[in-house]
Amino acid sequence: MNKKLFTQIRNEWRSNLWLALELLVVSVVMWYIIDLLYCRLATYMEPRGFDTEHCYLITMGVLTDKSPDYTPYSDTHKQTDEVRELVERLRRRPEVEAVSLSQNSYPYNGSNGSAEVDYDTLHAPRWTIRRIVTPDFVRVFRYRGARGETPEQLAEILERGDFLASDNLYRKYSVPMTSLVGKKEFYLFGDTAQMYRLGAALQNVRYDDFSQARSSYSMVFNMNLLSDDWIHADNELCVRVRADRDQNFMENLKADSEKQFRIGNLYISDIKSFKDIRRSFQQGETSQMRNLVVGMGFLLLNIFLGLLGTFWFRTQQRRGEIALHKAMGATDGAVFGRLMSEGIFLLLIVTVLAVVIDIVLAHFELNSWRNGTTLEWPRLLFCVAATFVLIAAMIGIGIGLPARRAMKVQPAEALHDE
Amino acid sequence: MIKQYFQQAWAQLRQQPLISGVTVAGTALSIFLIMLVVMMQQVQVEPFAPESNRDRFLHVKWGSIANEAWGDSNSNGPWSAASLKEIYGKLTTPEAVTVYVVYSLPKPVSLPGQPTTAVDVRETDSQFWTVFDFAFTDGKPFDQATFDAGRPVAVITESVARLLFGTTKAVGKEFLLAHAPYRVCGVVKDVSTLAETAYAQVWIPYTSTDQVNNTWENDLMGLMSCTILARDRSDFPAIREEAARRLDEFNKVIGENGYKIINRNRPYDQEKNALVAGANVEPDVTAARRTRFIIFLILLIVPAINLSSMTQSRLRRRVAEIGVRRAFGCTRMELLGQILGENFIVTLLAGVLGLIISLLFAFLLGDTLFVQSWNTTLNPPVVDASILIHASTFGWALLFCFVLNLLSTGIPAWRASRMNIVEAINGKAQ
Repeated sequence: MNKKLFTQIRNEWRSNLWLALELLVVSVVMWYIIDLLYCRLATYMEPRGFDTEHCYLITMGVLTDKSPDYTPYSDTHKQTDEVRELVERLRRRPEVEAVSLSQNSYPYNGSNGSAEVDYDTLHAPRWTIRRIVTPDFVRVFRYRGARGETPEQLAEILERGDFLASDNLYRKYSVPMTSLVGKKEFYLFGDTAQMYRLGAALQNVRYDDFSQARSSYSMVFNMNLLSDDWIHADNELCVRVRADRDQNFMENLKADSEKQFRIGNLYISDIKSFKDIRRSFQQGETSQMRNLVVGMGFLLLNIFLGLLGTFWFRTQQRRGEIALHKAMGATDGAVFGRLMSEGIFLLLIVTVLAVVIDIVLAHFELNSWRNGTTLEWPRLLFCVAATFVLIAAMIGIGIGLPARRAMKVQPAEALHDE
Repeated sequence: MIKQYFQQAWAQLRQQPLISGVTVAGTALSIFLIMLVVMMQQVQVEPFAPESNRDRFLHVKWGSIANEAWGDSNSNGPWSAASLKEIYGKLTTPEAVTVYVVYSLPKPVSLPGQPTTAVDVRETDSQFWTVFDFAFTDGKPFDQATFDAGRPVAVITESVARLLFGTTKAVGKEFLLAHAPYRVCGVVKDVSTLAETAYAQVWIPYTSTDQVNNTWENDLMGLMSCTILARDRSDFPAIREEAARRLDEFNKVIGENGYKIINRNRPYDQEKNALVAGANVEPDVTAARRTRFIIFLILLIVPAINLSSMTQSRLRRRVAEIGVRRAFGCTRMELLGQILGENFIVTLLAGVLGLIISLLFAFLLGDTLFVQSWNTTLNPPVVDASILIHASTFGWALLFCFVLNLLSTGIPAWRASRMNIVEAINGKAQ
């Protein structure tokens, strides 16, 4: 049986060559796309280290001298005090759980500052993100300690004057930050005049949904320890609303903002939900993923059309042959299976070649990165298998339609002339 | 001759409805997707109002600066107005140079005593109106004198005018912007967020706010970007050279405080600027083009292989006809031309279909299809015919049809034209 199948495939090598070529190209491209999607989704599902649900970002504005309400700032009238007062007033709203000020710190933020965190001979990576925040920031975004510290405990640690760092900060030295908690000999921001104590190690805080936790480095420092100049209207004002009272928060706050939240020169200029911020920040990645899925659909559709066309012709040409096959006692299933295995067998041969190409591509780092590499055998295997199954399904439908037609061949009619 | 091609093509399409269907569907689908990719690129680089001069733009969106004291770290972001004016503002080669706030930022607008609405506000200078061509439906832009005096005037879009005053005839009316009274000096047609550099809903002079003082790094960095309008694209090298000279001089001045600008080959033209992802990396135009080329190649080759095997099957049925034609003196080239020509008609038909579908698709789903990677505004991109349809759109579609036809019919046609005449007439040739 298998030998006959082989002979048949060889006899039609010319048109099979086209099919094989198409399957090869599609197989490699599909593998590339599936590999990319796999990496994106696997990363997406890692723990984030923060929680933006029920969180809002409030943009503050300051009156200019063009406004009749403007009063110039002076030693007794400071922007810092107005900002602090705004935070207090927000905190007093019953639906608000926590309010924080920060600089370049909230999640899904395109603006970053970098920090140096040095301990003895250990240095944090250069792209360690510096989060200068008021202690409630960790409560707004529900940061968690690597040893299970709650956001409230972390806030207290910041209040105490200690700083926080993501657990992976010294990954390249294989030193987990948990082992350094309580150590007082840290130098921060390249300043060798003062030493700081690490209060707790954080569960790694990811940069966004498509950055891995292992490579998202960050540290958190209490803004209140710095001079008052740090607190101003350009700070990020973030709010967490109680989950059970998160209805129309933006509308209600906007409605009240004129009456309750105009403080001297300070006013609320815009409110955005973190749901929108997150979507907006990542729409480049998400739309790329959507495009790739569409591209994958297109390739699969082509496989389907190609096989449909080719096998439509084939079953027409082989009408007599199929009839003879049936006349000699083959069942409908055998005819169907024969045609189907022709396609699947072709795919099997092509897949061997495709896997070789895939490995070469991965070796030269031309596919997606994850866990610091492009060639992970389990991932490769999974993606190759997924590619095979998807293409096989298309072959199934593409050949299935003409094969069903072939099954219905009546030997007596088809062989009439003979 | 051409008429015969049409007749042949039509007759063949009808002979094998399924195969014809598959051929047309495959071609249309391929052209459809290719044109979507083309359009995604075009909305970023092809001119449309108010960015009608995109081919003459040179952008300095962001800058990078280092300091002797910082070691190998540097600061990346928008500039201060003073730095940009010093380096680029005094250039003599370009037609105009505009300095504006890098993003449109949401600010509350209202009529006195009424609830506020946040709209996207961009702070600009007066050259902004020369560099970008807004369609004014009422009034005019603010001039240099108004800008210098820092008077609170605003150009607003028709939607904002309707929102505030219930009419688009709003020139001279007053409203509150960030709780300060502004007077409307002009009303323009709404701008798509796809015109990223020019987009806003309200434009005001940046001298009317404290923007000039919103700076850091010794007043070198701030929130501003700049766009240079060249008289002609051929002036680009001259402008770059002049800008480099001015930059050297500027570096000497700020070098006294240890600062140095890392230029990363700025300014960038529209294509390169569209690729800018962060201030600390120079975009790689060649890599982006290569990626696009590979995408086009895949979108062409896979269907072409399909179509090719179908063309092959179709030609197999015409072996005798081809033999007779050859016997009566038709040259190989003529035959090749005929087969390619006949197929090109089918490809073109399917291509037109694909183009129409892609345009429909773009119009209906433009807000998700052309979504920008990151933006300060949450407003989705709006598209219209002036944004989507350019002469080059059709040019590209035609080119891709031609290539697809060549790829899918080339080999079968070449083989058919080289058939042995005797065998062909005998029906023995494969």
